[in-house]
Amino acid sequence: MSQHLSSQQILECLIGAGDPDRQRHARECAACRAEIESLAKPLAWFRASVHYAGERAVHSSFATGPVLLLTQEALDRAWYSNVMAAIKEAIHPPKLPPLEVTSRPVPVKDIWGSYGGQEKRAGFSSLAIHAAAIGLLFIIGTNQTVQQVVRRQISLIAPDLAPYQPAVKKDPMGGGGGGGDRSPTPASKGKLPRLSDKQFVPPMALVHNPDPKLVMEPTLIIQPDANIPKVNMDVLGDPLAKSMIASNGPGSGAGIGSGSRGGVGSGNGVGFGPGSGGNMGGGAYRIGGGVSAPQVIFKVEPEYSEEARKAKFQGTVVLFVVVDEKGNPRDLKVIRPLGLGLDQKAIEAVEKWRFKPGMKDGRAVAVQATIEVNFRLL
Amino acid sequence: MERALSSEVAPVTVGSGGPLGNFDEMFEQYRPRILRFILASLRNKESAENLTQDCFVRAYRARDQLRGGSSAGTWLMQIAANLVRSHEASGRLKFWRRMLRADVDLSDAGDWIPDPQMSPEQMAAARQQVEKIWKVAGRLSGKQRTVFLLRFAEDMELLEIAAITGMKEGTVKTHLFRALKSVRTALEEQTK
Repeated sequence: MSQHLSSQQILECLIGAGDPDRQRHARECAACRAEIESLAKPLAWFRASVHYAGERAVHSSFATGPVLLLTQEALDRAWYSNVMAAIKEAIHPPKLPPLEVTSRPVPVKDIWGSYGGQEKRAGFSSLAIHAAAIGLLFIIGTNQTVQQVVRRQISLIAPDLAPYQPAVKKDPMGGGGGGGDRSPTPASKGKLPRLSDKQFVPPMALVHNPDPKLVMEPTLIIQPDANIPKVNMDVLGDPLAKSMIASNGPGSGAGIGSGSRGGVGSGNGVGFGPGSGGNMGGGAYRIGGGVSAPQVIFKVEPEYSEEARKAKFQGTVVLFVVVDEKGNPRDLKVIRPLGLGLDQKAIEAVEKWRFKPGMKDGRAVAVQATIEVNFRLL
Repeated sequence: MERALSSEVAPVTVGSGGPLGNFDEMFEQYRPRILRFILASLRNKESAENLTQDCFVRAYRARDQLRGGSSAGTWLMQIAANLVRSHEASGRLKFWRRMLRADVDLSDAGDWIPDPQMSPEQMAAARQQVEKIWKVAGRLSGKQRTVFLLRFAEDMELLEIAAITGMKEGTVKTHLFRALKSVRTALEEQTK
């Protein structure tokens, strides 16, 4: 029996199934015993740990007597029976006993309008504030100076006194333009550039910059249906001029002619001909047709002349005025005189007025208007 | 290799006295052991408690069938082994339910202190070995695990195990042998 046990025989010994000879050898042979021990020790620890876990489970679980035990079937119902029960409950919900109301309303503090007992004082102070405000309005209203100021209102109206003409297209045209580059020779003859409602480049008979970075067609701001003089020429120029030597004319601010500000002709603006503010036909724009009326922003009361006061004379002077792009009145003329020096007084006053200029296409333009100045003796 | 039978393994005969009084006694005596076995088999505390209760309910209902000759422990363990087997068969369908539950076996076993006189290193090594055996036991087939647990956790004799599992002694030996072999392979792998 000097032969050591095979690994299979060692396992048999551990199981407790080896024959008695091998069992004895296992006890006697140190090498074999050590080998058995190497496996038996972990198994013993395992046993101890299982017992330990079992004890913990026993202590942590509540100990129930067998009478109170529930069956596994009752705890673990099959899923389909649960589903069936749920469907059944959804179709025929079990009738619940009527709800018993055990709660009772309790009086609570009113949270709305809590002035903390100051309701009376708050009401009185509110009344006092209202009374003071109304009283202040009364005092202001009954003041003499205030009443005078209110009464001395001068109304500014702008009635169009020109006779009504249905064919408005051609006749109410106003305005003009002019330009030049301060050359000593007069403007040369030529055709007008294209008419447009915008001007990026003024027309030039003598081009000073032949190679511009950005080429723009020169235009004049004249309404498209205007009856412009036609000239059968290729070069740009003033159609009414006589000179044939290319020149932009003695005017200023680019353009052609003797005027200023980039138009053609003797006027002042980007239109053609005499007048100002673009377009053609002479004069300023009229109110209406896309031209807004100028508005008074500062005015001076006209004085009564000595004679008129003595004669207790009153009435209305109607003045013609051109309000230029800057809002200053120019070219004042009396349309309906009143006499007794009141016309002169009216012009003196209106000359000091300042306007918000009339607008066309978002641009300030010179606009002609009429002003009524009322003379009333208080 | 002395294997003294502890007092809790001592056979108790049922049915001689009042049925409920004796059953109470039996419950108190065998419950830790049944719970331990089922816990070691299933590694889940809730299922183990449920199955332990189920085991005793079945035993109570069938208490008349217990013949006077057989041991109550063996009889109860037989019921428990059957319950574990059927639970595992049905558990394959409830795998998602198993996922939801927290398995507590390793943390419980990890708290276990092998021997207070060991050095920390030895203790750690012992714990590692025990954990390895737990894992291997979890991977064993149902029959092998039942046999392995009954033999090495409950210290039962081969004949007793054969009675519980309803297998022949040779079959029990074969299963035990295979289980032990895989445990030894795992332990040898760990030491390498």
